[in-house]
Amino acid sequence: MLFSRRLMLGLAMAGSMAGALTFPALAGEGPTEIDLFFPVPVDGKLARDMGSLIKEFNETHPAIKATAVYTGSYDDTLIKTRASIKAGKPPAAVIMSANFLLDMQIENELTNLDPLIAADGTTKDQFLGQFFPALQGNAVINRSVYGVPFHNSTPLLYINADKAKEAGLDPNKPPQTWAELTEWAKKLTRREGDKVTQWGIAIPCAYDYCGWMMETLTMSNGGRYYNEEFGGEVYYDTPSMLGALTWWNDLVAKHKVHPPGATPGPAVSTSFISGNAAMMMLSTGSLTYVRDNAKFAYKVAFIPRNVRNAVPIGGASLIVPAGQEADKQKAAWTLIKWMTSPEKSGWWSRATGYFAPNMAAYKTPEMVDFLNKNPDAKTAVEQLDVAKPWFATYKTVPVRKNLEDEVMLVLNGKKQPKEALAAAQKAADETLKPYNAETSLKLP
Amino acid sequence: MAATMRSISRRDEMSLAEPAALPVATSAAPRLHVLKRFSSRLKASLPAYFLLLPSLVFLALFTYGAMGRVLIDALYQRATPKAPVRFVGLDNISAVLTDPAFTGAVVNNLIYAIGTAVPSIGLALLFALALSRTHAVNSALRAALFLPVLIPMVAASALFLFIFLPNVGLLDYYIGRLLPVLPNWLGDPDIALYAIMIITVWKNAGYYMLFFLAGLQAVPEDVMEAAHLDGAGPYQRFRHIILPELKPTFLFVTVIAILNAVTQVDHVFVMTQGGPSNSTNLVLFYIYQQAVEHYDVGKASAATLLTLAALMGLTALSFRTMANREGGP
Repeated sequence: MLFSRRLMLGLAMAGSMAGALTFPALAGEGPTEIDLFFPVPVDGKLARDMGSLIKEFNETHPAIKATAVYTGSYDDTLIKTRASIKAGKPPAAVIMSANFLLDMQIENELTNLDPLIAADGTTKDQFLGQFFPALQGNAVINRSVYGVPFHNSTPLLYINADKAKEAGLDPNKPPQTWAELTEWAKKLTRREGDKVTQWGIAIPCAYDYCGWMMETLTMSNGGRYYNEEFGGEVYYDTPSMLGALTWWNDLVAKHKVHPPGATPGPAVSTSFISGNAAMMMLSTGSLTYVRDNAKFAYKVAFIPRNVRNAVPIGGASLIVPAGQEADKQKAAWTLIKWMTSPEKSGWWSRATGYFAPNMAAYKTPEMVDFLNKNPDAKTAVEQLDVAKPWFATYKTVPVRKNLEDEVMLVLNGKKQPKEALAAAQKAADETLKPYNAETSLKLP
Repeated sequence: MAATMRSISRRDEMSLAEPAALPVATSAAPRLHVLKRFSSRLKASLPAYFLLLPSLVFLALFTYGAMGRVLIDALYQRATPKAPVRFVGLDNISAVLTDPAFTGAVVNNLIYAIGTAVPSIGLALLFALALSRTHAVNSALRAALFLPVLIPMVAASALFLFIFLPNVGLLDYYIGRLLPVLPNWLGDPDIALYAIMIITVWKNAGYYMLFFLAGLQAVPEDVMEAAHLDGAGPYQRFRHIILPELKPTFLFVTVIAILNAVTQVDHVFVMTQGGPSNSTNLVLFYIYQQAVEHYDVGKASAATLLTLAALMGLTALSFRTMANREGGP
């Protein structure tokens, strides 16, 4: 029968396929194979840089075979990591957005790194001491280490120096307070009748960026965005945040020096590069992009203060997902230590524009050379002295969105700052309720 | 009791009229017959089932299995992050239905469905009528109008992201001279949904045009000629001959357009992430948010079930539409 012959052929093929799938699992000898999930948040070229980094690691570590798996944006990386944990096949290491760590720890998705640090014969303080103090808040939860900082950023004020000179301002003395910044923005705004042809300043507001900028403005107004010690509280309905949002709204509605509505980060950087916005607040992660594309002289400066100089950090940490076999955990730890060493950290920083979290990276000759050639990269590092952790709560993203939706309404002239922040606080309290129910409100 | 009494009495009546064996024989024979017919049919179609087996296996693994899993997940929820998941029945469904973000997404989706289906179908009909005769120029124009269909939605969204850039984008560069204030196309909650709709219309009108072109081929030539001879003008021919002939096409395209409005949200992902302030949040994106951002599998599954039910209703409608088309006038 023709039919049965086909069936046999099909069965034979299925059998050989099944064999191919099971045999590699049986062969236990050879190097420990591990996967590293990595996102590319800024530029497509990074995927190639990561490829060469991992190739070098494999050549120098014959006992381990690491594979870099590109997993999209920060958010996509969280989805894929969670999916693989659920499927019982978590990757050995992941480069994870630094403010997702707390939420993952609450969901029991992270490996506590303390035993691995202890096995190396170092103390926690010695290990963490390699990194800038500002970065430790997002890596340590309940006094245990859950993440190792890999690449980090802070917000910066970018100034078009040519336009500043045209307006009679000295770009070497950038604005240091909100009052000075408002004056600069007014002088840098050009109008034709009612129409604005050049904006004084642009601050990005899209999901993710908007919350980060709100934290930036609130912190430089003396406030705190969230409770750094406990993931169940945010401080939206406070004078410091009210001041921050009111000032941002005044730049739009009262002084008319900031474009109205919510503008995402790429639109802000394009606007700055094309000369349509004379100043902008953006991540240090965009520094390489601006350096490569700006056809004018530019300056970077600290974020101006109203009450104090303070900024949040951004960026990503290396984590080990929960549920990993011991030998793979060890291999992942070797990879993580190698990737965050001064030399590799510095190399990655020069390739991406993020700063290197390992302080010793700035003492390597390559880095000293690079900073001499690009003094603007130094500003981000100097600002680290006043940097604090990135907001991280239970359900970080929805809690952040509760604020962002209201801020967007304010920037579009649909709500007043006071009532918007009250609504944001109410919504966030509701989102945080289940966590509080089993922590702060679970009473004996 | 009463039923058995009645059946007994009826059998008695029957036995009075006919021999008692007869009803038993007639009732047994067809059953045997059916069984036999079924087994012989099974034998005949066995190879067909074997041939279908691979796709059935994959459908079961990746479609029906996933749907079953969604159905189960929709019934479970955990009260607090560390608590175990427990059976909650329809609580997830009612939580979704009372969530203002979900009802907002449904309203947005309705506006989006009507606002994209009507203009894109109207344009598609217009294009099809204008380009119904086949010659070189028309073929080139058809290809030009069909081009947006060939561009993946994600790529198109990335392109439009630059077109919509406030102040420096292509749109503002040309329109900016005419308007007193430049709109922030994707950053203003009053405009963003309509900006998204423009892309959908641009992308789908050419696709629907194909259906109308095919429908126009089916308009009988002799009827048109007869109408022409009887002195019917172009409008009368359009109103009384072409439109009635295109009715099944209309129904079909409408269903497709509505299905697209629910299932195509790539541009929302790329361009607005549902913002600003949820103004472009559509149902499918809401499900994504529940599953990924809120990490609430129960609620995401419940919303999926509701959407699936709506889509299945639409699919049933589309099958009926297609049946109508085949059996139609």
